[in-house]
Amino acid sequence: MAEVDCRGRTVREINAEIRGLGEGDIVVKNPAARHNLGVAILKHARVRFEGSVGYYCGGLIDGAEIEVTGSAGWGLAESMMNGTVEVRGSAGNGAAAAIRGGSVIIHGDAAARLGVSMKGGLALVAGNCGYMAGFMGQKGTLIVCGDAGEAFADSMYATTCFVGGRIAELGTDAVASKPAADEAAFLDATLARYLSAEERKSKPAGRDFQKVVAGRKLWNFDKREWKIWQEAL
Amino acid sequence: MSSERVLQSSGTFSPGVIEDIQTKAESGLYRIRGYGTLRERRWATFDDLTFLPCSLTRIPLEGYREKCSTKTVLGTRFAGKPIELGIPVMITGMSWGALSYNAKVALAKGASAVGSSNTTGDGGMLMAERENSRTLIYEVLPSRYGINVHDMRLADAIELTIGQGAKPGTGGLLLGSKVSGTIAEQRDLPIGVDQRSPARHPDFLGPDDMIIKVEEIREATDWKVPIFIKMGASRVFDDVKLAAKAGADVIVVDGMEGGTGASPAILQEHTGIPTLAAVCEARAALEECGLYGVVQLIVAGGIRDGVDAAKAIALGADAVYIGTAALISLNCNKPIYVEDYEKLGTEPHFCHHCHTGRCPVGITTQDPELMERLDIEQGAERVSNLLRAMTREIQMLARACGKSDVHHLEPEDMAALSMEASAICGIPLAGTRKVFGR
Amino acid sequence: MCGIVGYLDRKNDGDGCIGDAILGMLQALECRGPDSAGVALFAKPQDHRFVVRVKLGGEGSERKLADVADAVTATGSYARFLVDDSCDPKKMTARIEALDPGFEVVSVGRELEIVKQVGSPENLEATYGISKMRGSHGIGHTRLSTESRVDLSHSQPFWAHGYPDLAIVHNGHITNYHQLRRRYEQRGVKFYTENDSEIIAIYLGERLTEEYNLEKALRSMLRDLDGSFSCVVATAAELAFVKDPFALKPMLVAETDAFVALATEEVAIRARFPGDYRVREADVKEARVWRK
Repeated sequence: MAEVDCRGRTVREINAEIRGLGEGDIVVKNPAARHNLGVAILKHARVRFEGSVGYYCGGLIDGAEIEVTGSAGWGLAESMMNGTVEVRGSAGNGAAAAIRGGSVIIHGDAAARLGVSMKGGLALVAGNCGYMAGFMGQKGTLIVCGDAGEAFADSMYATTCFVGGRIAELGTDAVASKPAADEAAFLDATLARYLSAEERKSKPAGRDFQKVVAGRKLWNFDKREWKIWQEAL
Repeated sequence: MSSERVLQSSGTFSPGVIEDIQTKAESGLYRIRGYGTLRERRWATFDDLTFLPCSLTRIPLEGYREKCSTKTVLGTRFAGKPIELGIPVMITGMSWGALSYNAKVALAKGASAVGSSNTTGDGGMLMAERENSRTLIYEVLPSRYGINVHDMRLADAIELTIGQGAKPGTGGLLLGSKVSGTIAEQRDLPIGVDQRSPARHPDFLGPDDMIIKVEEIREATDWKVPIFIKMGASRVFDDVKLAAKAGADVIVVDGMEGGTGASPAILQEHTGIPTLAAVCEARAALEECGLYGVVQLIVAGGIRDGVDAAKAIALGADAVYIGTAALISLNCNKPIYVEDYEKLGTEPHFCHHCHTGRCPVGITTQDPELMERLDIEQGAERVSNLLRAMTREIQMLARACGKSDVHHLEPEDMAALSMEASAICGIPLAGTRKVFGR
Repeated sequence: MCGIVGYLDRKNDGDGCIGDAILGMLQALECRGPDSAGVALFAKPQDHRFVVRVKLGGEGSERKLADVADAVTATGSYARFLVDDSCDPKKMTARIEALDPGFEVVSVGRELEIVKQVGSPENLEATYGISKMRGSHGIGHTRLSTESRVDLSHSQPFWAHGYPDLAIVHNGHITNYHQLRRRYEQRGVKFYTENDSEIIAIYLGERLTEEYNLEKALRSMLRDLDGSFSCVVATAAELAFVKDPFALKPMLVAETDAFVALATEEVAIRARFPGDYRVREADVKEARVWRK
């Protein structure tokens, strides 16, 4: 287990040391919510940040497994190609923004715009998510075990969303339904994989989630859907 | 007495406006098309400036014999490895998707042959583009279509795009006929959607966050390559200062006359400020923060020839981007396949129908049959020729003004032909010794 | 666009090291606000007196203040003195500013003092010794100027001119500023800068004069002000924040038995306050008030 200490060093130095350690297990101490930690790790390293991280932790990674014991700032795992980024606390705006693949797991809450423009992969929040989660989501899966904020799944392409709690408000062109049997099974399996037994106690079963996808009324310009287009450009 | 009817249209409700209103009465939607502003240019442009070559007060250089350097270096502020170009004219970002594969490769080859550069666009990197580009700039846009850290690390520079000149403050558009199988796959979209891009970046909102984003990009590219920040020309003076404070190596301002493959017509016509005004505001902004000459400036937006480029350089640009002009060199609006122009309801020299995907010359289409009409090698040569011609034009003007380096052109090498241009550029009005409006 | 902070000391009965706390937070946010730095601190209240801080004019201009007050101290760009709190703050301000064209009353309050200037938090500390200032709570700001000038007046925090003990800091940009400003000016309200953030102070001053309810006033901002804002507000008795309806700017919140800390980035809180506590991002449209 290699150890990296952030105190008194620049982010550039810290990241260079992390990358230099190659694959294997790395603990990073005293991150103190600093920005750009663990950006562009392209090897299969397993990095644990003990404490909070700032913006873009795990951004632009491909293949790394990152864990954050505290909370995360904006743009967690943004544009990740593949890998896992797991936060024990909460995450700020734009968690899992534009991810192409991989998994983003948030055990606390996610702030606004979770999974914005996501292009693949999985974004999972054990707690609640904020305003406009899933905005313009293109592919991949978004799972919120708790409550979802306003404008949920607004203007989406083909991301599939699931919400275990209340949805404050569906976004433009978002349509809610019940998950199919295989989707419910997928939810149960995913929750079992990423959440502890303790966490799962308070979460609904897969079949009790709501499924939300795009109604596809925004997929092609059409004057007849005036009410939809009024809200979206 | 002959009974010839005299027809008079309303200046306000002209035939074009009548057609526009009646079309909207059918569709309930704003008009979408390609190309860029079609309005008659009644604002101050580069045409309102003229060069003052050497006469008695200064000595010109002999054309064709005495050297006039066109070498251009970009990214000296922070980048470990600035870009070195042979000429100050570069190809701007135009997406694979808006453009055909053949067009993208022809542009890459054509630019590379003369020491120029290519830029990816709102759809990610084509491998063929990287393979055929001597210098390739990777665009990071609000949509993040095709975003890939490995592609970023293959690029020679990263361009963080806030917006473009044709439609600042809004997102991109690619209509369904062009979201073909390969494009849809590249962009992670369903086939055939009318793709709308977001107006904002997903992970930063504001110049204060952008400071952190620029650092992230440097981290991802090992602090080697220059970071460009590109903006559509709006509040240029304020925006350029902010981009400089955010740590840009190079700032790109894209003026109102810039082109687009598809966008709402009203945005092309009524948003953004003209390129001439933009370059003057940009230079003033850099001077105010003491970074003129430290941060490089690229100017874009309707650059048509070496003259526009030379004037932009004289006003403070280190280089210019061309987009529409490069496509025109690839046969955009050429009088060939005329019956196909007619099928679109237009004619050569009047076509701005890039958004339809039915480009008669194979540039802005995803239809393989149409694309075949654009031969890559021939296209590349035409692009190279345009770039060579533009470079020679710039050199000619520079030598006439006594410069052995095109980058030595200055505002004082020009006179203004209108009061607006004098006020905007801070250059005396020809025939007076006065700068107006300051 | 900037870094903003707020801090409420819960343990020291109004005599905590708030200057030091806020300075430490600001230093961590300097990168996102390189142009100016400033604080608004609330000390133990003066007995029946207002503390007045005036931005000075040319050299020696502080002598003109002898007309309005006895013990005037001048440090850096400011003069500081006390006046009887029975006076009308608006009239007093007008009187002071009439003495010299360069004068601007930067803050008035029984507890409030605003100290701000162009440059870094370090420079602010070097000139004014912020770290030694004590009190119950305060707010701070590091500025990245967007559309207006970089000078002392345009820096933040903004005092709600004419309304004692009310200060704000703002991250974002109010996009209906000019329209609102013209309406205020029609009614005779004076603006001191071209900075859109100033209007938040004026707006809240008016709202609290109509009805003293800070949370309600913050919520009405969501309706009346357009654009992006995360805003931290302080009165003599309260520390508060509000976040805009599109969640466009960050607002991080930490609350323990010892303190409440608000900041644009968690790094500002962690850098200054060690310990095991959670920091969360405020919700869209959230407004929250703490009483001291």
